Amino acid sequence: MHERSLRTEATLLRAQTTLTARSTSEPADDVALAATGDVRAFERLYRANLPKVHSLVRRMTAGRDADELTQDVFVRVWQKLATFRGDSAFATWLHRLAVNVVIERFRTEATRRQRHYDGEDIFEMLPAIATRSGDLAMDFESALAKLPDGARQIFVLHDVQGYKHQEIADLLEISAGTSKAQLHRARMMLRRHLNPPNPNQASE
Amino acid sequence: MKDAHEQIIEQLSDYIDGELSPSAHAELERHIDACAECRTVVPELRAVKEHAASLPNTPPGADLWDGVAARLSHARTARVTPLRRRAQRTFAFTMPQLAAAGIALMVVSGGAVWLAERGDPRADFPAVTASTTAPSANVAAGNAEHVDNAGVIDAHYDSAVDDLERTLDRGRDRLDPETIRLLEQNLEAIEKAIDQCRRALDADPANTYLNNHLAATRQRKLALLRRATALTIGS
Repeated sequence: MHERSLRTEATLLRAQTTLTARSTSEPADDVALAATGDVRAFERLYRANLPKVHSLVRRMTAGRDADELTQDVFVRVWQKLATFRGDSAFATWLHRLAVNVVIERFRTEATRRQRHYDGEDIFEMLPAIATRSGDLAMDFESALAKLPDGARQIFVLHDVQGYKHQEIADLLEISAGTSKAQLHRARMMLRRHLNPPNPNQASE
Repeated sequence: MKDAHEQIIEQLSDYIDGELSPSAHAELERHIDACAECRTVVPELRAVKEHAASLPNTPPGADLWDGVAARLSHARTARVTPLRRRAQRTFAFTMPQLAAAGIALMVVSGGAVWLAERGDPRADFPAVTASTTAPSANVAAGNAEHVDNAGVIDAHYDSAVDDLERTLDRGRDRLDPETIRLLEQNLEAIEKAIDQCRRALDADPANTYLNNHLAATRQRKLALLRRATALTIGS
């Protein structure tokens, strides 16, 4: 009992010290308060970080179940908050946790697709997913959502979130070379949406 | 097979990220100076990279706090209970999930018996009127609420599967061997997925996705059994 309260206190102190030293968007003591079970403090953390977390999840998943996954992230944060040691900024810790939740989802879905491949082919006539084509005004986010899963995840982690290739390789259990190749693939696909070819009018 | 220039283009992202060795960087720079295509691609890649770094973060269309808050107390409880639950192989569900699963199981149980007795494979299941032994009645009788709820769901599910499997077994010889093989293959895959999901839930009982996935996979098994049973009755 004593040991537990001492640990909690140490966690609080570390969190407060770290957060005071760093310029984060949340009030310094909300992390510490939330770690002790203060739901109101946790709600403030949620509100301060929701746009970043939801944008990260939405971009990594191409919008699939983004709301539900975002909720999963914050529930996981609540569960794990006592383990936050303050070695990094809370926002960094939170984003890494969010990335892990998304990656877990992709792995579960990949396993599910493998296990049910036969069944879906034989016993179900799934309606084809309607896709819009020929939309030249597709914005960057829409173009991002249309990338293949692997290339999109790596692009979001590297170019949007600022992860290094080795970090991405560790997270996704791939080689750093694969991460580099997929990033380049994503950029090459996306450049067309930022720079639509229109050579004839360029000289006017 | 990639040609030499394609291989050079594949290094352009490493080039703009500063990931190349000094010698490789210098060599590529010399190539870019002399190559019109690469001189076009490099600034385009830089533009993509810069644009990505400046994307605004936007909140979801609807606030998600209520859904988060509803799971917080359960998430705390769940952290201290998984080992005790493992032995009982029971699961916690939210009330809407329970209600939906309960109704679905009643429909399927009633439908299986109705199909077996009436023998019309094309007809859909009758409306839910017969099963008055609703999960809520059983739940009310229990002491440990959520554990008992899960137990009731398990019982209904097992009962529905048993009904369908018995009916299917009786009509098995009316199906051709290839259909039986596919059926068994699919049932095995679904059963594996259910087991996998149960194991994952042992570690994370509050996970909405896993709970939904388990319910959906069970529904899938019931739907498959139902369809196969209808085939035996119809052939």
